[in-house]
Amino acid sequence: MRATDWRILGFDEPRVPRYGPRLPMNESLSAIQADALARIDAAEDPRALEEARIASIGKKGALSLAAAAIKDIPKEEKAAYGQSVNSARAAITAAIEAKQAALQDAADQSALAGIDPTMPGRPLPTGALHPLTLIRDEAVGILRRMGFALADGPEIEDEFHCFDALNTPADHPARNEKDTFYFDSGKLLRTHTSSVQIRTMEADAPPVRIIAPGSAYRRDEIDATHLSVFNQLEGLYIDRDVSLPDLKGTLEYFLHELFGPSTGVRFRPHFFPFTEPSFEIDVKLEIKGQTPRWIEVAGCGMVDPAVFKAVNGSRGDNAYDPAVWTGFAFGMGLDRLAMIRWGIKDIRLLIENDARFLSQFA
Amino acid sequence: MNISLNWLSTHLDLSDKSVSDIDDLLTFAGVEVEGVVPKGVASDKIVVAEIKEAEPHPNADRLKVTRVDCGEGELRQIVCGAKNYKVGDKVPCALPGAELPGGFTIGETVMRKVESRGMLCAASEIGLTDTEDGLMILPPDAEIGKSVKQLFDSDTLLELEVTPNRPDLLGHYGMARELAALLKTPLKPLDIPARETTPASGVRTEAPDACPLYTAVRITGVSVGESPVWLKQRLEAIGLRPINNIVDVTNFVLHELGQPLHAFDAAKLSGAIVVRQAAEGESFLALNESRHALTPDDLLISDESGAALALGGIMGGLTSGVTESTTEIVLESAYFTPRGIRRTSRRTALGSDSSYRFERGVDPQGVLTASSLAVRLILETAGGTAEGTTEVAGEAPVLTRPVALDAARLDQLMGGSILLPDAEKILTRLGLTKLPDGTWDVPSFRADLRRHIDLVEEIARVHGLANVPARLRGTFAPASPVDAAHDSDMRVRQRLAALGFYECLTIKLISDTQLADALPLRPLMEGDVIRVKLPLSEDHSVMRPSIIPGLVASAARNVRQGVKSLRLFELGRVFRNAGGGKARDQESETLGVLLSGPVRPANWASPSPEDADIHDLAGLLSTLIPGQPLRLSPRDRKGFVLSGDIKSGDRNIGVYARLHPARERELDIDSPVFCAEIDLAKLRGFGATTRRIEPLPQFPGSSRDAAMEMPADLPNATIEKAIAKHREPLLVSCECFDSFTDPTGTRLPADRKSLAWRFHYRAPDRTLKSGEVDQAHQNLLEAIAKTTAVVYR
Repeated sequence: MRATDWRILGFDEPRVPRYGPRLPMNESLSAIQADALARIDAAEDPRALEEARIASIGKKGALSLAAAAIKDIPKEEKAAYGQSVNSARAAITAAIEAKQAALQDAADQSALAGIDPTMPGRPLPTGALHPLTLIRDEAVGILRRMGFALADGPEIEDEFHCFDALNTPADHPARNEKDTFYFDSGKLLRTHTSSVQIRTMEADAPPVRIIAPGSAYRRDEIDATHLSVFNQLEGLYIDRDVSLPDLKGTLEYFLHELFGPSTGVRFRPHFFPFTEPSFEIDVKLEIKGQTPRWIEVAGCGMVDPAVFKAVNGSRGDNAYDPAVWTGFAFGMGLDRLAMIRWGIKDIRLLIENDARFLSQFA
Repeated sequence: MNISLNWLSTHLDLSDKSVSDIDDLLTFAGVEVEGVVPKGVASDKIVVAEIKEAEPHPNADRLKVTRVDCGEGELRQIVCGAKNYKVGDKVPCALPGAELPGGFTIGETVMRKVESRGMLCAASEIGLTDTEDGLMILPPDAEIGKSVKQLFDSDTLLELEVTPNRPDLLGHYGMARELAALLKTPLKPLDIPARETTPASGVRTEAPDACPLYTAVRITGVSVGESPVWLKQRLEAIGLRPINNIVDVTNFVLHELGQPLHAFDAAKLSGAIVVRQAAEGESFLALNESRHALTPDDLLISDESGAALALGGIMGGLTSGVTESTTEIVLESAYFTPRGIRRTSRRTALGSDSSYRFERGVDPQGVLTASSLAVRLILETAGGTAEGTTEVAGEAPVLTRPVALDAARLDQLMGGSILLPDAEKILTRLGLTKLPDGTWDVPSFRADLRRHIDLVEEIARVHGLANVPARLRGTFAPASPVDAAHDSDMRVRQRLAALGFYECLTIKLISDTQLADALPLRPLMEGDVIRVKLPLSEDHSVMRPSIIPGLVASAARNVRQGVKSLRLFELGRVFRNAGGGKARDQESETLGVLLSGPVRPANWASPSPEDADIHDLAGLLSTLIPGQPLRLSPRDRKGFVLSGDIKSGDRNIGVYARLHPARERELDIDSPVFCAEIDLAKLRGFGATTRRIEPLPQFPGSSRDAAMEMPADLPNATIEKAIAKHREPLLVSCECFDSFTDPTGTRLPADRKSLAWRFHYRAPDRTLKSGEVDQAHQNLLEAIAKTTAVVYR
């Protein structure tokens, strides 16, 4: 900082009598310098320093007045006198600057004194996405890279879309009022997201390549492994020449993306009314300190021709001619995937929204 | 279903197969192995002991001190709590070092100051099935000191889940048949000589659709009693408790062949057996002592007196069954059609091992075989004389027909991974026969094979997906509106999480009581709530018409856990009818937000941060959607306070409110609870158009302040409205930056407030002159004063 900057502080310069002390000699220059340096040295704050500056090299300061006295100096002494004035001014200016730096330094030091960075931080509110959102978004992200688009359907469904069109016999146990929530209107809460397969095929002609994350409902008492409302992700691919190799390739790729490229994946034959052949898919869960085990993550299969027939009937055309189009469908429990991913032992944690649980996903 | 490995081995040679081989084999045949339970005595240190003495324990009423002979040359003292033995009985004794199921090892101990050197065991304690309470009493001829393990075969119990399309696997023989086909090993033939049949005279079927085939054999002179050891062991091995020889035989045949049978006490029948529909309201008292009112859709086994003897294929009646005094029985073996069984079983909530099989479909050709086997075993175990012929009413329905296999489509579906001859070999192994016309004849026990694709399924299953190549390909799919919605919703979620909110997931079925917390966009009318017919409980009986009740419940739960700052949100579906039930089952998606408690977490520097208020909610909403400040517009909502609509411009897109203070107290929440619910479809609309970026201003602007005084209840929105209406072209922005009230009335009357506003003026093309700004400001202030009760100070 330059000396003149201190003027912005707005201190009035001390008034000095117009006809002040006269004709300071060289000896008096030394005295002025010594006096100024002493005041500068003694200054303990910027204000005292500024006062010392004004008193010495200010417009009416002692040195300035002494400098003005040059006019009374004999000609031959003028040069030497001028030099003495300049050297005194330089010494005073240097002392002021040094003192300013020292005072600023001390002020900076004291501004930082007493701060304890090891005190706990002043927290901001933290937030987090729900684990189900995290796993769903991850699964959706992988499948979108594979060219699947999202689809949707109602959760309050009719029997046609939830059961009939999915080749479920009229007296199938799943239609039981003990297992499925019905309404007085005869409608029901969809027991799986597979109903979106039918909704999509009714609306769009093949080829179809969709995924549908969504809720499904079963009349299960809520316990550590069951929720009456749970979350699934459905997939459907219908095209010419879709075969078991496509089903296998697609789902293996998906599961390797989700669980890691070296994860073991196996397909066990199973039975679903709306696919044939049908499989359940297990992945090998390998956790440090635990025996590796196969756990079921999804069901899948080739779309049963009876499903195409039902869709054609509902559309009133032959858009899904089973002789031309084949396809596969798959479904998985997102709650289960979340439980596997994060080692969640009790499914109820997913719906209790305890901050101590949710904050672990921040 | 439970399968005993020893029992299974009576039908095929599994000696070179480990349990894990069989586990794998079943798994990849499509039978889920849910459990593998080793059965039988595992330790060699469990020996036959004879109880020589039993004295009361000096320090315990319920214990006895026994001295037993384990063949060691001296007696062993053991403290025992059981009561069912007497001196001289032979029982299993676990010696020190013996390992028992459950993983604990027997040692020498002192029980209440008396030494005990081993343990006398109940059957279940050494891996066998209990047949009585207390110690297992061994046969009197068991050799003292001999390892008990040698007296009982060890076995493995497989707990299997058979898919509903494979009823043929619901018996040991059927399961063995499947394994033999998969293993390519021979299946031992069933040695069951067929009995002669005659058309029924003692049976009349009046419901041939529900019961196409009914057979009966009368056996006289039986003596009901305990079953022989081999029969009891078979049943115990699969977890069944032996009852008596007749019932045990029918149970054995069911688990052997999958064909349910029923034995009636002939003395309780009057005249012929009549298979008929129940009369409307007819009463049936089942074996398990439950009473049921039937309908004509239910099938009854009755007699000429009209008595309801059994609910056909499902359960016997309480009074018609075999008892210890029975001497003459009628053995039923029949085919009941699956549909009727399923309907009756569901309606009456009666289920049994029998109905489980009939409703999936038994093999009609196996009805007589099962009857013949049961007759033979009853004669062997209970004595008596069987009628020479089996009476048959109706005939076995033919449920299978030849199926064509389309080789080209098989090849396409399998990706060329199996050659046709190999595929055909699989079908042959599974019991199908290629007919001269090239189609495949299906065995009667595989009624599930009806179409080409069913044969493909069998081939794929046996071939295994492991042997099918993987192909990575697919078509391109354009993004759908659902994709756009998903992306928009994810942005909202991420923004809220970044603003310090936790995303929740609540159950979409709520209780009636919770409806009071609902804050749907349009208030609910009578008939707008959707209820499920048979809720699991009152707590989950109504489809949520709003997300707020779930969030309120989550908030209350967290408060109980001591959480102070509640910042919760959820995105999801809500359900309602509209117009008092006129427009039904409407589903829409909304965003719910709940805000309560300290705005910042408490910390050493600010130990008690202030609670969030309505302005924090307003602030959240004003920044939620970039470039789309949402505003609060007050309107009363029944049951809430500080409520109103959330507006974007003039459009209502949601609602907000504070819970009623009484409700907050009820929930034990000390801080005000603010909620907002927003229509997601409308939020998604904001993302649909791309925002154009404004160029940065080239010229400086000027600000002017105004201090406005007005009635305390004049909403700020009124002033905003007046400013907007004036449309001052030079005004680029304005905001209220201070508010002053004085409840004491000294500096300002208590019913007045003072707001300070700052207005920013700028022209896009020049630097404004001071006079221009003053003029514009003056015009604006006058315009505001003209339409509102504002005076300038």
